[in-house]
Amino acid sequence: MTSIVLAGVGGQGIITLGKILGEAAILEGKKSLMTEIHGMAQRGGRISVDLRIGDYQSAIIPIGSADAILGFELMETARNTVKLKKDGIIVANKRMIHPMPLIMKAQEYPERESEEIISRYNHYYVNADEIAMSLGEKRSVNMVMLGALFGVGILEISEESLKKTISASFRNPRVSEINIKAFEAGVAAVNQEKVL
Amino acid sequence: MKSSELLEQSERAHFLLGNEAVVRGLYEAGVSVTATYPGTPSSEIGDLLYETHRDLGIYFEYSVNEKVAFEVAASASSLGKRAFVFMKHVGLNVAMDSFVSLGVSGVKGGFVILSADDPSLYSSQNEQDNRYLGKFAKYIVMEPSNPQELKDFVVKGFDISEATGQPVLIRSVTRVSHMRSVVKYGPVRNEINNSSKPDRKNTVLLPENSFRLQPQIFDRLKKVVEQGFSRNFINIEGEGEDLIITSGSAYNSIKEALEISGLKAKVMKIGISYPLDVEYIYNQIKHHNRIILIEEGGPFIEEQIYSIIAGKGIRKEVFGKITGDVPYNYEMNVDRVKGILAKIYGIPDKTEVVNIDLPSRPPEFCPGCPHRATYYAAKIALRQKGWKDYISPTDIGCYTLGYYDPYGFGDMLLSMGSSIGTSNGYSIFYGKKVITFIGDSTFFHAGIPPIINAVHNNHPMIVVILDNSTTAMTGGQPTPENMGNIVKIEDILKSIGVKNIHKTDPYDLKMTVETFKRAMDEEGVSVIISERECALEADRKKSKDEFKIFQVNQDKCKLCYNCVRNFTCAAFYIKDKRVYIDPELCDGCSVCSEPLVCPFGAIEVVK
Repeated sequence: MTSIVLAGVGGQGIITLGKILGEAAILEGKKSLMTEIHGMAQRGGRISVDLRIGDYQSAIIPIGSADAILGFELMETARNTVKLKKDGIIVANKRMIHPMPLIMKAQEYPERESEEIISRYNHYYVNADEIAMSLGEKRSVNMVMLGALFGVGILEISEESLKKTISASFRNPRVSEINIKAFEAGVAAVNQEKVL
Repeated sequence: MKSSELLEQSERAHFLLGNEAVVRGLYEAGVSVTATYPGTPSSEIGDLLYETHRDLGIYFEYSVNEKVAFEVAASASSLGKRAFVFMKHVGLNVAMDSFVSLGVSGVKGGFVILSADDPSLYSSQNEQDNRYLGKFAKYIVMEPSNPQELKDFVVKGFDISEATGQPVLIRSVTRVSHMRSVVKYGPVRNEINNSSKPDRKNTVLLPENSFRLQPQIFDRLKKVVEQGFSRNFINIEGEGEDLIITSGSAYNSIKEALEISGLKAKVMKIGISYPLDVEYIYNQIKHHNRIILIEEGGPFIEEQIYSIIAGKGIRKEVFGKITGDVPYNYEMNVDRVKGILAKIYGIPDKTEVVNIDLPSRPPEFCPGCPHRATYYAAKIALRQKGWKDYISPTDIGCYTLGYYDPYGFGDMLLSMGSSIGTSNGYSIFYGKKVITFIGDSTFFHAGIPPIINAVHNNHPMIVVILDNSTTAMTGGQPTPENMGNIVKIEDILKSIGVKNIHKTDPYDLKMTVETFKRAMDEEGVSVIISERECALEADRKKSKDEFKIFQVNQDKCKLCYNCVRNFTCAAFYIKDKRVYIDPELCDGCSVCSEPLVCPFGAIEVVK
């Protein structure tokens, strides 16, 4: 049984990732549950998806019990640590998306504060946006992140099932191929972090 | 989701959103007619039907509002077809008049209405519990807990509706409609596409007919219990001295909360919460001294349980909302249920909450959003004309976000169309000018009668119609202006007799400021149609060459911060006190490069 919080900002492909992960689990005969909350804004608002693989009834992950946070945006990653258990793992993208109240007051992003909160836990950083860009498809950020999550070894799902689900999720074969590459790049990036 | 996935006839498990499961349920039930007005958290049902209805052989329409959608479905049912209408909870208020009448008429073809309630108010103005409206109008009320049940209850709801002759209300909530989980498909039945004339003695509610029908309503409701439907939708699990009675989404939290707390109780989950099978429930509760009631909204089931206890003359210790043991508001989750149980059982609630102090991230206009430009121009015009104590009712849509700083528009908002409605009153009683904001889809939905009222009763106001030619906030559904036979807002206004009709493009700030100022000099009703397609919709149509992005030329920037403080596009950010534009977020709308935002010409297109 695994509980994962996917956290970020609208438009980062978080829900697509959750769907793929959940479907891969189902492919292996496991149960998965997912709940998503996105507020009023179509873009730029907070998004958090709770994904639970195993025999759960509640899709909402209780406070302090998530096994992992897959964070697409630095501050949202830090914010969601309330859900993480003490020995949980964080896989964090370094992306910073500045919220309105700070922009309006001409204030800077709380980068150090966010990193400090993340550092209290077992964590890995991934430059998912850069990696996706280098593959020529910036929208593949989510598959880089999925690869990184797989790379830390927390998923009880095989690489084969994940790749099969990724391939089936994109109609265009070129896009599908890039997303598989993005997944592999995510695995490699987190393995490199492990060595460091 | 593709049509082929919905049409599949396999045993395999699907990972479906609750709202997607509903559509499969409609297909399995052989439904003929569906209609809606988009509203979160029910919108994805419409999105999927819009894409797939032809392949599924189901009629679907986006109606102009929920009342019309309801009537489209009700007419189909009166002909003997299976009909389904769905909406967010407050949408049912719009359909209320016809909704109540159908409970009197009863139905011929199965009729199911789905209301997606929003406990915790993720995207709504209230957390009303529409089970009460179901009971009020004498509908059969069903409460699914997960996507599988959503699908199954839709299918069974039609059977129950036809078996009893009464309409069914399915009460979903955000966490069920927006839950994704394993769904297994069932058999598909043939479409029941009868088309016989309505039985007019039941469908024309003249007092004579209605008088005769009154006792029949209760006869039909009785069948729900007599034929065992109420009982069959009760699940009992677990063992323990105490009984927890629950329903819908609240049920999902109970098992885990009991486990974590180390408690044991019998759990009774109620699937049809009106009408209840009194005898069956009495036979369950009589074995338990302590009864705990946990539901979202209510105390709907709770009040009915009290009635059973009182009616049977038994004594029970009841813990619920009425006794103050369960909070009245917001959705349930494991943490909350655990806290409730801890109090009732007098055990410690061990949840440790880490306090995290980070800036908030409220919802905001997308980069390139034309609404931001309209509000920015409006503020400049108001300042230049020296209008200070104006009042600005607003309405429901993305543009409601203009409430927040730095724009600060919006003094009243009750419901769809209330911007113009309340402006009718403010124009007389406030004594100062009224400038009111409404979107295009909201205007079609409920803005036309109040503007007729304003012209007819001569209530002066400036109505700003933020026309982005889509229903943006719920995900970009079509409006009467861009699909089917085109209905133009301007033509409606002319026919009503609005004399001062202005059009502007908000991306042209100078023109928009001048337009506002002209309208401010006019008498009577003035309308400004601020016309520019939603940036998200426009981006979908752009070719790669059409995309451009902007940057701040740091040599030209004088650090006045007007762009960030007053225009406040989400693509701006500050680093080392300097202003930058995030190239990943910039939409290329170019509005920030206009002199009214940057007088120094420091914002330039990236070559």
